[in-house]
Amino acid sequence: MPTDIRNFFGGKGGQTPAASQEQKPSKDAPKEKKPKGRGKRKVLSDSEDDIEVQPARKSTPKKPPPKKQMKRESPIGEVTTTSDYFASSGKSKPTRSTPTKPRAAVATSAKSTPRAKATPKPEPTTSGKTSSRKKNKPNYVELDDDEDDDFAPRVINVDADSGDDIFGADYKNAQKGEEDAYEIDDNEDEIVKPSRKTAKGGKSASSRKGAISKDEDIDIQMKDVPAKATNGTNPAKGRKRKSAELQDEEDEEADDNDIPPASKKAKDTKAKSPAKKASPKKVRKEEPHIRTQVDDILDDIPTVRAPTPPPRDGTQKFNYKDFNSKRSEPAPSGPSAELPVGAENCLAGLQFVFTGLLDTLHRDVGKELITRYGGKVTGAPSKKTSFVVLGSDAGPKKLETIRQYGLKTINEHGLFDLIRKLPANGGDGKAAEQYEAKQKEEQAKIEKAAEEMIKQERAEAKKAASTNTRNQPDSKGDIAGSATTDSQLWTVKYAPTATSMICGNKAQVERLQAWLRAWPANLRTKFKKPGKEGWGAFRAMCLHGPPGIGKTTAAHLAAKLEGYDIIESNASDTRSKKLVETGLRGVLDTTSLLGYFAGDGKKVETEKKKIVLIMDEVDGMSAGDRGGVGALAAVCRKTSVPIILICNDRRLPKMKPFDSVAWDLPFRRPTVDQIRQRIMTICFREKLKVPPNVINALIEGSHADIRQVINMLSTAKLDQDAMDFDAGKDMSKAWEKHVILKPWDIVSKILGGGMFAPSSTSTLNDKIELYFNDHEFSSLMLQENYLSTNPVLSNTLTGKDKNLKMLELTDKAAESISDGDLVDRMIHGSQQQWSLMPTHAVFSFVRPASFVAGSQAGSQTRFTSWLGNNSKQGKLMRFIKEIQGHMRLRASGDRHEIRQQYLPVLWYRLIHELQIQGKDGLMDIIKVMDSYYLTKEDWDAILELGVGPMDMEKVKIESQAKSAFTRTYNQMAHPLPYMKASQVVAPKKKSKERPDLEEAIDESDSGLSSGEDEAVLDDDEPLDLKKDKYVAAPKKKKAAKKSGAKGKGKVKNENVDDDESEEEVKPQKSAKGKGRAKK
Amino acid sequence: MALLVDRYRPRSLEALTYHEDLSERLRSLAQSGDFPHLLVYGPSGAGKKTRIVATLRELYGPGVEKIKIDSRVFQTTSNRKLEFNIVASVYHLEITPSDVGNFDRVVIQDLLKEVAQTQQVDQSARQRFKVVVINEADHLTRDAQAALRRTMEKYSPNLRLILLANSTANIIAPIRSRTLLVRVAAPTEADICKVLTKVGKQEGWSEAEGLNRRIAKDSGRNLRRALLMFEAVHAQNEKVTDKTPIPPPDWEALIEQIADQIMAEHTPARILEVRAKLYDLLSHCIPPTTVLKTLTFKLIPKIDDALKADVIRWSAFYEHRIRLGSKHIFHLEAFVAKFMRILESYLMGMDF
Repeated sequence: MPTDIRNFFGGKGGQTPAASQEQKPSKDAPKEKKPKGRGKRKVLSDSEDDIEVQPARKSTPKKPPPKKQMKRESPIGEVTTTSDYFASSGKSKPTRSTPTKPRAAVATSAKSTPRAKATPKPEPTTSGKTSSRKKNKPNYVELDDDEDDDFAPRVINVDADSGDDIFGADYKNAQKGEEDAYEIDDNEDEIVKPSRKTAKGGKSASSRKGAISKDEDIDIQMKDVPAKATNGTNPAKGRKRKSAELQDEEDEEADDNDIPPASKKAKDTKAKSPAKKASPKKVRKEEPHIRTQVDDILDDIPTVRAPTPPPRDGTQKFNYKDFNSKRSEPAPSGPSAELPVGAENCLAGLQFVFTGLLDTLHRDVGKELITRYGGKVTGAPSKKTSFVVLGSDAGPKKLETIRQYGLKTINEHGLFDLIRKLPANGGDGKAAEQYEAKQKEEQAKIEKAAEEMIKQERAEAKKAASTNTRNQPDSKGDIAGSATTDSQLWTVKYAPTATSMICGNKAQVERLQAWLRAWPANLRTKFKKPGKEGWGAFRAMCLHGPPGIGKTTAAHLAAKLEGYDIIESNASDTRSKKLVETGLRGVLDTTSLLGYFAGDGKKVETEKKKIVLIMDEVDGMSAGDRGGVGALAAVCRKTSVPIILICNDRRLPKMKPFDSVAWDLPFRRPTVDQIRQRIMTICFREKLKVPPNVINALIEGSHADIRQVINMLSTAKLDQDAMDFDAGKDMSKAWEKHVILKPWDIVSKILGGGMFAPSSTSTLNDKIELYFNDHEFSSLMLQENYLSTNPVLSNTLTGKDKNLKMLELTDKAAESISDGDLVDRMIHGSQQQWSLMPTHAVFSFVRPASFVAGSQAGSQTRFTSWLGNNSKQGKLMRFIKEIQGHMRLRASGDRHEIRQQYLPVLWYRLIHELQIQGKDGLMDIIKVMDSYYLTKEDWDAILELGVGPMDMEKVKIESQAKSAFTRTYNQMAHPLPYMKASQVVAPKKKSKERPDLEEAIDESDSGLSSGEDEAVLDDDEPLDLKKDKYVAAPKKKKAAKKSGAKGKGKVKNENVDDDESEEEVKPQKSAKGKGRAKK
Repeated sequence: MALLVDRYRPRSLEALTYHEDLSERLRSLAQSGDFPHLLVYGPSGAGKKTRIVATLRELYGPGVEKIKIDSRVFQTTSNRKLEFNIVASVYHLEITPSDVGNFDRVVIQDLLKEVAQTQQVDQSARQRFKVVVINEADHLTRDAQAALRRTMEKYSPNLRLILLANSTANIIAPIRSRTLLVRVAAPTEADICKVLTKVGKQEGWSEAEGLNRRIAKDSGRNLRRALLMFEAVHAQNEKVTDKTPIPPPDWEALIEQIADQIMAEHTPARILEVRAKLYDLLSHCIPPTTVLKTLTFKLIPKIDDALKADVIRWSAFYEHRIRLGSKHIFHLEAFVAKFMRILESYLMGMDF
């Protein structure tokens, strides 16, 4: 016990050492003393409070002197003081709290004091009290936790003192085993909370953080003095020392709590009234009532240990910053922590939230730990949260919520204590009780469901229907237990037979049913009425969602319930365009034979005439099913039979044809709760003993894939009758679907996922593994984002030092990335040394991340810009090459010289001139272009190639001038240095200029080019225009002028086949014309 | 209306204005009848190409100036089609094998063999051999250079090679030993001034002595650049004086901006901004080494002497990496980060 208590104190008391000490002792004393008195007082909490206050005052006088003197010291004194307190009984304690807290109104100081008092008390009690008392002590701890949350309000109410009294009373009550004690406990909890807050504040001040703590201490002292300060000082001091480590956290929390108290005061007055805070307490209280005292005690114990909960700071912002800076510094703690072993299911019914970076516990481990013992871990705190496990760097939002709801916060030690001390199945705790009740309820449901199932099976067996025809081979559809039930897969055997049996997605199933029901009517109205949700206008429905959540099942079930005969086609069938068209032709306009005939001795089901076509695994239509998707979409457009399409990923590009022809019906993963009951029913039926937390783990492990869970259970059933947590975990791990992370997730995981935190258990291999999730992107993505983190390594510094540190880290990271590129070159270069991939992973990914890892707050993960820039570079490089190729006859430079030296001048002469002079400068511009054999495309390229002051964005050319330029340029004949072979074949530019004549031009060009390619260009003489595509434009215009030519052109357009001869003629003519014109 | 630099390009060896002795030697070589393979090297803008063209004219007469561009398609061993442009006259070919990157060997092998195996068609030609001018010879891959070496000897009756390079460093020794090395040094600033004055006079522009000198200095003894700057200044100013500012090229202006940004603030966020600009430069085809070099020289005047050696060292370090690596932005960024760190810690040291 003593050790536990110390932990306790360390957690709660340690944080608020100095100030808290004083207060704590007082509380402790009241508690101890109170118990005696409490037994009598138990009846009314309110009345108790009042009473207590008076006695407390009495006690205070004794203590005050020691507090002032030795606030931080005098651990020894505690015991004595406690005994004194006991002797003095609860009266002394109450007095303290009441006067100080309410009057002081300064939440922080007052709160801190009560807390401190409370914490120290446990120690003395333990030492002095017998075994029974020890049990009581644990109770205190629990109360403390509650107190932390509730402190603010209660303290203000003046109940703090009463709380102390209550504590005492609780202890006594517990010992006595009277029910009354429970009631008192509730009150106590509330009261105690305020005290804790104070304690925390005090602890923090005195604790490790020198300067800060001192300041706090001062504040606390001031408050304490007015408050009474006297009672607990001595004991508190001793406790404070012990708890010093934890105190820091508490202090912070205490600050946070201070603010809320004011608002909550009203609630505090009536212990039961405070809804938020009260809920957890009440639960516990109720439990004790129902169960034996021992249970109560047990419950209390875990809570007490939780003391570590750091109170929040008064002002959020201030606190947070403080918090951060403080937290980040001591961050380094090894991944040591020995995991506690607790009773089975001991956390039953409790909800936990993790926030911040835990000292020793990795969050995943923590989650596992809690789920293992039946607790529940949620992402964000809410009213229902029983405990918040607080680490460093807790999110401000969470802290806010915690404050708002006055949630109990504990640290990991508190969590461990909880686990160690709580009895199996959560003991008598209220939460546990509720949990148990829930369990029972669930169990009842399960049994009922199982019974129904059995009934159904029997009924079906009686029918002895041999008509399995409806059941498609791979559908879970009709499960009607046939004679072959035993040989069926569980997934088939337990497939739902009614909508009520479907897990999750109920709305979707109903919608599907409604759609099917309305389908014939809609067909009559030709799908002109979209209806409320719009599905009335569609002949097809597209279900999509992750695997194993019952899409196929739902489709079959809905069809069956609506009396459709099902025709199914899935990936096992070839579904190419042809087969879809021909294969479905016979189906779409027909009705089912089942409507007219039936097997031997069976009734004809006339309503079965209707047919529904279920196309399963549509996204599985692959290369072998060429054109299948398109054909299917076409069928969906005019089908006279409802079609249900099922796929996993609706967003695939190949699913696009269905966008307009099918109504989307997304299926989501059901929640654990939605699945659990069904699974448990199955377990029950199969006589497989699996505790709920194991089932939860299985479901979570499979990402709510119902089919997989059932399969897992089916496998497990083969060789075992029960499954414990570890076995379940191993199994779901073994069955784990390997999820390949997206590049974004990879980066945020390596940078912001705490993989480099001291407490992280991920190995170098894990990090390299992360890189291999997408080895092409991970390094690029890291490079893109490594500059926008807030590196953890620099968090401890501020101002310029921090900036320098950040630069240093950035520099190291950048250098490492640079190293990585060299490795990359060896991999992708001529050597192809692929075995260097892990090296590349380390240099380009892991190592840089190790420097700059930290929160990415304030900037979202960007996609790498390297790819875009690289392809842009490629494109512009092609432009430059083209320009250089054209200028080559004139200019001697290579392309770099063209870019760096010619381009600025050309830009000025070509772009700037047009921008300034507008239409007036056209001829000069065109002259310059012609002298360098530049084309209009080159002009555009030059515009695009500008950078900095010549950036394309900054160029504003009047659209009028530009179009005039284009027009004028196209009207004129231009010299061309040469023709590219590829251009001859596919003259894109021509097509742009005159789309009508595409083919004709092609022909003419190729014909001409073959012969005339080699035309000689002279510097003085412009080139022969015939060869070039660019020549085409002027030709055409000329042709246009000549009516005859024009007519020909048009004719050509119309009769493409005959064009060749004519075309050739035409171009030649035009070419000649041009040649003349030029010369 | 071509630009000055091209309009006033000298056509014959006599018209060349500097390196008189070199011109003289080339002329005697051309007249000797025993024209060797040449490896002409020198910095860009020194007049290599101009000299070669003038020499060719000396060899073949004015017919060599009637040039055209051929587009040829080559097929690699992997059946990839390469399009390749050849500038040719009746007497010579001019190729830039580095246009096709790593496939330059294919071009060298096919084209040279083809040229070498055919005799000069024009019986009246002054020389029996054809000349193949290979641009950017220092960018030839090892394979291509190896393909060259035997060709040079085997087909020497029909073929002369003129290799143009910026430096001989990347050219393998066997080729260097088979060619006559001709170094074309960059013109002195005085040479450049002379050219500028001459051109200015011909254009009828008012002369500004001081401006010309500044241009010569700024151009880094690159005559092409000097002439283009000269033209730019005159194009953008009606009246030039000695004080007229010389407009920097777009990319240099941007690098100047980057340098200012780097100096103004040293934070990772600033690196991020700089990265965007660096990307801009790279994607607009400014070679990374040029960026790094220019940036370094823009930064150097802005920092204390004590840092300069360090900065130069790191600049060289990362330039080397740019050559070794493939994703240039990484190295540029690493340099920026390094620079900021060095500077910041230096400044902090002063603070303390």
